[in-house]
Parts: sequence; structure tokens; C-alpha cells
Amino acid sequence: MALLATLLALRKDARILKIPPFLSAFLIIVGVAWLLVLPLNEYSRSTYVSENALLPGQVHTYFTGSEHNVFRAYRHEVAGLVDLPVQQRTDKLSELLRASNLKVATQKYTYTPSGRNISDENVYAILQGPRADATEAIVLMASLKTMDGEHNYSGVALVLALARYFKRWSLWSKDIIFLVSGDSTSGPQAWVDAYHDAHDPSTIESLSIKSGALQGAVGVEYPAGPWGHRYDKLHIVYDGTNGQLPNLDLFNTAVNIASGQMGIGCTLQRMWHHRNSYQERLQTMLRGMLSQGLGHATGPHSAFIPYHVDAITLVTVGDGWHDEMGLGRTVESLFRSLNNLLEHLHQSFFFYLLLEAKRFVSIGTYLPSAMLIAANFSIMAIALWVQSGRPQEPIPNTAATKPAPKSITKDAAKDPDEKGKEQEQEAVEKPLEPPPVVVTKDGATAIIPAALLQVSERPLFLPAAFVVIAHFLGLIPLAAFNHIPVANLHPSFLLAANLTTLLPLATAYLLSRFNRPTPQESTLIHCFSLLFLGMYLSALATLNFSQSLIVGLLTAPLSFVRRSSGSRLAAKLQFALLAAINPVMVVYGATYVGKVELLHVLVKAAEGWHVWGMWTQVVVWLVWWPAWFSGSVVVALGLF
Amino acid sequence: MALDSRQKAALFAAAAAVRLLLFQAFPLLPDRLAGRVELSTPVSSFKRLQEGLYLYTHNVSPYDGGVYHHPPLLLPLFSLLPDASHHPFATNLLFTAIDLLSAHALARIADSGHAAATRLFQSPRQGLRWSTAAIAAGFLFNPFTLATCMARSTTTLTNLFILTAMAKACQGASATFLLAISAASYLAMHPILLFPPLLVLLYHTRNEKLQAAPNAWAFTAVHTLGLVLLCGTLLLVSAILAGSWDFLEATYGVRLLLPDLTPNVGLWWYFFTEMFDSFRDFFLGVFWLHVASYTPGLTIRLRTQPLFVATTLTGIFAIFTPYPSVADAALYLALVPLFRHLFPLMRYTFVASAAVLYASFLGPAFYHLWVYAGSGNANFFYAITLVWSLGLSILVGDSLFAALRDELDVQRPELRDKEVKRI
Repeated sequence: MALLATLLALRKDARILKIPPFLSAFLIIVGVAWLLVLPLNEYSRSTYVSENALLPGQVHTYFTGSEHNVFRAYRHEVAGLVDLPVQQRTDKLSELLRASNLKVATQKYTYTPSGRNISDENVYAILQGPRADATEAIVLMASLKTMDGEHNYSGVALVLALARYFKRWSLWSKDIIFLVSGDSTSGPQAWVDAYHDAHDPSTIESLSIKSGALQGAVGVEYPAGPWGHRYDKLHIVYDGTNGQLPNLDLFNTAVNIASGQMGIGCTLQRMWHHRNSYQERLQTMLRGMLSQGLGHATGPHSAFIPYHVDAITLVTVGDGWHDEMGLGRTVESLFRSLNNLLEHLHQSFFFYLLLEAKRFVSIGTYLPSAMLIAANFSIMAIALWVQSGRPQEPIPNTAATKPAPKSITKDAAKDPDEKGKEQEQEAVEKPLEPPPVVVTKDGATAIIPAALLQVSERPLFLPAAFVVIAHFLGLIPLAAFNHIPVANLHPSFLLAANLTTLLPLATAYLLSRFNRPTPQESTLIHCFSLLFLGMYLSALATLNFSQSLIVGLLTAPLSFVRRSSGSRLAAKLQFALLAAINPVMVVYGATYVGKVELLHVLVKAAEGWHVWGMWTQVVVWLVWWPAWFSGSVVVALGLF
Repeated sequence: MALDSRQKAALFAAAAAVRLLLFQAFPLLPDRLAGRVELSTPVSSFKRLQEGLYLYTHNVSPYDGGVYHHPPLLLPLFSLLPDASHHPFATNLLFTAIDLLSAHALARIADSGHAAATRLFQSPRQGLRWSTAAIAAGFLFNPFTLATCMARSTTTLTNLFILTAMAKACQGASATFLLAISAASYLAMHPILLFPPLLVLLYHTRNEKLQAAPNAWAFTAVHTLGLVLLCGTLLLVSAILAGSWDFLEATYGVRLLLPDLTPNVGLWWYFFTEMFDSFRDFFLGVFWLHVASYTPGLTIRLRTQPLFVATTLTGIFAIFTPYPSVADAALYLALVPLFRHLFPLMRYTFVASAAVLYASFLGPAFYHLWVYAGSGNANFFYAITLVWSLGLSILVGDSLFAALRDELDVQRPELRDKEVKRI
């Protein structure tokens, strides 16, 4: 009880208000430092397969010998059909699959994000598992174009060859679906949407034949031409849309089979030469986080993950001595493992950061860093709330420490009685000091100015309305960038960049002209916007850790800016800092640093919204932008 | 500080405009919200109501499908309106009107001033209060109320009758009070537990009005009889309408016996999914006894502040009833600001409001992880409903502490501003 009372008494202490900015900064530093220690052995773990039904690499693979000739033949067929018109290409592919005694169907799809026309056709075939009852299926897919836009000759050929090969086995206890999609992201998306009846039938054809619930999907990209190309490593791509990841068991199984059984090295996140040093682990992790944070679809597997179908894509990279049969046997062994599954993959982690192919950090270890950064906003919001309740005028010194009035010191010679009278008179005439309050606690007595104990009434309407309106304003650019045609995207972006920078200034000017907000009101605006930001980010951290962390770091300065009361220069400097980290400028800067074309980013973002169901824009325009806008208006108010 | 008519018209017009604008601007939003487990429970869901309505208009007993658990009298009311899936405007208008009427009742309660001063008890802090307009606005623009209204949960109707019953009790209008409380009990069953404290409140107000104390026993007997008669009439009319007494099992039976374990923000569903069947009946009894036991205890202990007892009970309902939703919490949060005079005595308001706010953001996120992403499980959502309930129970407990402290200040003025210890 006594401890509680002491803690409660501590609330009244003025010093307590000085702590939060330091505490916030401390939390941010700890959050970042936390991230930096993750690649160390003490904070990461070796991967392991926890679903014991998978038994990776325990079966002998038979995809060798004469199958090689079959594969080469298919590769020449594929090389002949990639440049044909869509209809003929589809017919040819259907014929090839039908020749392997499989049920074949096709699906046309058309998407029109930002006025572009993405239309193509998927071909797929279903192998009915001899021991299956059509309740479960696994998918093997290759798109005609790879993620980098090359022709996926050998990948498609491998799917065709494996389809013919798998058909002859009697051990499948799940249906296997072979999917050859038109392009690497929209095609699988259209197919998987239609598989789950979540498509728009007016632009995307419904599937004519289906199988059971999808248990897993594996994509293959092997862009070697008709004369083949030996590769060095397998690049495993695993990020799904909105930063959702497949179960770690699937990734582990693939790594285990490729490197353990087949002797093919595995790599991830475009780290072609990974020597397992601290820097490279960190770089892998940061690249993974960036990719997760962007939330974009990275390959044919991405579309499956939102439907709770674990999926990865295997991409061949480099020049080495591994041939197509090694990849084929890897896929065969992987499918034998998936075939063993008795239930959906659920044992292992869904939230993880990979450092290299065989090392990962689990959610319990990394989540605190994003949560700490989100907490910094909440702490500042609390501090600003308390501050807004304090008296706005500075409290004059209390009686004890006040210098004696001048009139008295001058007439020091007067006799004590008269002096006493004069002092009394003065006290009556000038009630300058706040009335003191005598506080007795635990036997000690103190005189405290009454103003320190008061909580001033907070005007909540303007701040609350302002923050709500700021959030609704974000809907305008969100809707605009998702619907403007390609030709106008770049100019609109420039317009948005200018408007976003000028809008806080204009808003602050108008506010100060018509309804001059008191410092208390601007503190409350700041407080509410940080409170919302903190809450959004901590909720987001559970859905997409990396996105929350990235947005948190980019908005971190908002915790520390203030409406400056005196110095114009401070306000200008703060505003310049905020202008530099405004969401539009950050996107622009990121494209410059990343050497990506800005238009490409905008086009893909709109495609993400319409095709992949990507939510990154929502976070940018409805979480990040309103927080930035509110903070900037608070700072800009100091300019007028 | 009564609400003048211009202020009131402006406030209500703004609230109605916001609701209708949201309904019109986001036509998919109501259905999306109606599907959220936080807002729609099996006993309050609008989708289930539509299902029952369909069966009813096709002359099939609405209870045959096993989906519809609302009371039968809602059917003729909603069958008057055009089909909500094609012409939702009339339904939207009805739910907007329900919210406005609730706010009107709330304003009446605030105007009466019974929150801080009753016949037997004058709070030493009774000067400290919010204006009626602020309290009504706090209800009308509370995001929880807005979301409930958009989801068209039938709990809004229950809330309307509860608030009306409170308002009528504050005004000392016996007949309308009985009508409102029996309608609320008919709709949701548990509001009948509000009858004792509100009867005490009505007794005080009648006493003030008549300047003479009516005979307490006769007063209680007459009103209890009135309640029984009115509830009986409602049930009888329902039975005639439904054609049999089967509806009792499908409506009150479901509330009592919890056959539908759809997740909600309450504490029962998870507990009963884990329960061995042999213990089920025992724990159902225990859980219901627990909810019911608050009424006599609080009514006796705080008999001088019956409105506070009723408010606290709505908070208890929002936590401990079998199918609570955000709508129940919205009712409690609407009533709490009436007790502004207790706020200086409350110690954990920040903790409670932070818990409720965080839970309302993390709840949907964790539900998504469990049901859609598949990367979480039921424990995620259950953990958040625990936080939500914790936040609300801190608020309930803290306000109870404040009310008792307030009472102590009257009884023992020398202890004012001194720290109290529980012995």
C-alpha cells in the first residue's frame, strides 16, 4: 500500500514530465539495437523440421535416366510455344498435358489496374492421387515469364516432365495440380482466387475442374533456354502478399532436401554469396524485412499464402554444375514429403526472420523491437496528455524563494513594526503569487503553489476533430493513386509531393488566422495523433512486423518535435526535418536510392491494390500520412 | 445545464447525418460490420434476423432453421420495412432513430441529476458534472456506438429500452418505466436484473414527487406484479405470433444454456469449448449465479445510489453475460460520464482506457490472424478478449471504489482527502 501511495504521489512530481522524451529516445535506440544483435548466435536458432510427418530427404528419388531425354524434349516444345499467340499456346500446352493422361482445364483472366490491361491464360492439369479421395491437393507451378521477365523455358518444361513422371506413380495420397500460368504474379492470383471462389467472374473465368483443399504449393523458375544451363544454387523465395510468410517447415524441408539430399546450396533474399558472417546475416535479415515491409507479391507463390496455403518458389541462380535433373529430384522429394502430411502445416513458425538458409529468429525474440518503437509513441502521447493538463502560464516562485520586494529593501532603515505593516499591505494589494497549499504527508509538511496541483480543463473538441479529419483526408490520395491511369501517375505523384509539403503550412496558416489554437490545443492534437500512431503500429506489428518497424522508424522524429513558442528558427528547422521525412518524399528518395523507376513502383502499387489485395497503401495513407500531417501542422503553428 | 432545444436539434442532426452519411458512403460497410464477431453475437446479429425474417415472410417457423435466436416480436416490426439487402435505407433510418432516441433518454437521465444527488444521498462533489450535451454527444459519437449502429445489431434496441427505463425511473413515471423494463427484459432477458435497483430509484423519485412516502411493500408488490403481467403479455403475444411456445427454447434457452459457441468478446465461449460435457451444467449454473449475484449485493449496499447500481450492472453485463458484444460496452461507456463527480476519486482510468483502446485495435488483428491468416489460433483472440474484459472490469471496480469513497466522505467528513486502507 505504501509503495502504491509513493508511486501515486510520484505522479504529481514535476520531474516526471522531463523523463518521457529521454525514455522515448531510449526505447527507439534499444529497439534498433535489439535488431542489430539478432544475427548473433545467442539470439538466433538453427532451423529444424518440427512436423515429423514430413521426413525430408528420406525417400530415394527416381527422376533420372531416360526422364532426362523426356525433359529435353519438353524444353524444346516449350521453346517453340512461348512466342505463339495466347490461344495457340494454350492449346499446345493443354495437348502436352493431356498426352500425359491428366485432366486439363484453362482459365482466362483480365485485370485493368490503373488503365493497363493485364490479360493472359492459365493452363492447369489435375493428377488424381491413386490413394486420394480428392479432399486435399498440392500444387506444382511454373509461370511462362519469371519474376524478372525472362522466359521460364526449363521451369515450364520441368513441370510438364514431372507431370508425366508423377502420373506413373501409385503412391500419391493427395491430388497434384500442375499449373502453368501466364505471368508470375497475376496469373497465380487469378487462379487461386477462382479456386476459392473469391474472384470477379466478369473478368476472371471460373475454374471448370477443381480438387480438394490446397495443402501446399511450390513454384519453379528456371529460365535456361532450349540448350540448357547449369546453375550454382537454388534461391528460395518465400515472402507472401502483405508480409505473410509460409510455415517455416516448408522452407526447412526444401532447404533440407536441396542441400542435404541433393547437395545443391540454398540462398535467400538475393544474397548470392553468403559466407555466414555477421554482416551478411544482418544484410539478409534486413532485405527480408524490407521485402516483408513492402508487402508486395514476390513470385507465383505469393498469391497462395493469404489463403493459408503454404507456398515457396525455387529459382535457379548462378553458373555451376547442378543440372535440371537435380532440380527435378528436389521437387520430387519435396512432393513426396508433402504427400506424407496428415494435416495442414501448423507445427512450426509462421512468424520468423531468416538470417541464412539454416538460421532464423523467432517472433518472441524479434517482436519486442517493433513493440518498443510503437511504445515510444504511446509514452509520448501520455506525456503530452499530462502536459496539456498542467497550467499553461509559468508558475511564479513560491514565497520561500522569492527575492524580497524592492520597496522594502530600499527602506531598510525603517523600524520593524512599520515594515511589517507595509508588507501586509503589499500582500493585500498584490495577490501576485498563487495561493499556496499546505500538504502534510507522512509527518512532513510542504507548501506547494495551488496551481501545481490543479488540472486545467482540456478543450478536446478541436484536437479530436482535427485528428479524425486528418485520417479521413488520407482517403483522397489512397483512392487517387489506385485509380489514376498510368500516363498521369507520375505528374500526380509530383503534385502530391508538392501538396503534401505545403498543406501543413496552409492548414497552420488558416488555423491561426481563424481559430488560433492555444498551445494546449496543439499539444492535444500532437498527443492524439501519437496515441493513434502507437496503437496502429502495435496492432500492425502482429500482422506485418517489418512494416510496423519501418513506419515506426520513419515517424520516430514526430515524437520529438514540438510547437516552438519563441524561436522561429527552431520551428523552421523542425519543419524542414519533417518535410524531409514526409511519406511522399520518402517514397521518392527510396526509389532513388534503390535505383528503381518511380513509375514502376506506382504502377506496381496500383496493381497490388487491385490484383494482389495488398494493404501497404492503406498503411501509408491512413496511418503514416495522417500522423506526419498532424505533427507537421503542430510544428508549422509555431511559424505563424 | 439542461439541453436547450436548438443545441439538441444541432447535436441530433449531426449524429443522424454522420450515420446516414456513413451508410450511404460505404454501402458494403454495414454487411462487413454485421459479420464481425465483436459486434454481432448469435443473439443480436442482423444477418440472423434477416434469415428469420425470410422464413417468417415465407410462412415457415423462423425457429426451424436453428439460426434465429431473436424474440418473435421483432419479426412483424422488421417485416414492415422493405428488404434490407436491396433497399437498406428504411432499416438504416430505423437504426439511426433508435440511437437518437437512446441519446434522448440518456439526456433525460443526465438532466434529472439523480446520478449525484438522490433523496437519501447528496454527493459532496455534486457540482462537478458534465453538461447534458457533452454526455449525449459522448454517446452519439462514440465509435463503439457508431459501429454497433452500422452493424445494425439488435442490442441497440435493448439499449434503447434500458436507457428509457432508467430515464422513466428518474422521472418517476411508473407505467412507462414498467413498459420499458419489460420490453428490455423481453428482448435480452438479463435486463430484468436491473429491475431491483431501478425500482428503488423509482421509489425515491415517486417519494419526492408525491411529497409522501408510499408504502414500500405495496409499492414493490404492485410494480413486480405489473412487470410480471407485462412480460407475460409480451410472451403470450409472441406465442400466438409464433404459433407455439417453442420460441422460448430458441431465444431464452440459447441465452441460458449457451449451445452456440461462436466467439465473442465475452468470457464464456472459450471456457465452454474447453469444458468436459459432464461439468457443463454445473458451470452454466455457476456462471449465471455469478452474474445474477451482483444485483442483490450492489442494490443493498448502495441502496442510496440506485442509478449508480444500475450503471455498474450494465458494466457487469458487458463483461459477464454469455453473449456480450461491443454494444453492451457502448451502453456502459455512455452511462459512466454521468458520474463525473466520481472521476477525481478514480485511480486507474488511464490504465482502463488504455486497455480498452488497445484491445479494440488488437482484437480484430488477432481475429484476422486466427481465422483468415491461419498463423494464429483461438488463444490469440481469447487473450485479447481477456484484456478487453480486464479493461472494463478495472473501470467497474474503480468506479465502485470511487462511489464507496464518495459515500464515506459524507458519513465521515473528517476522513476527506485522507488515504483509506481496506481492513
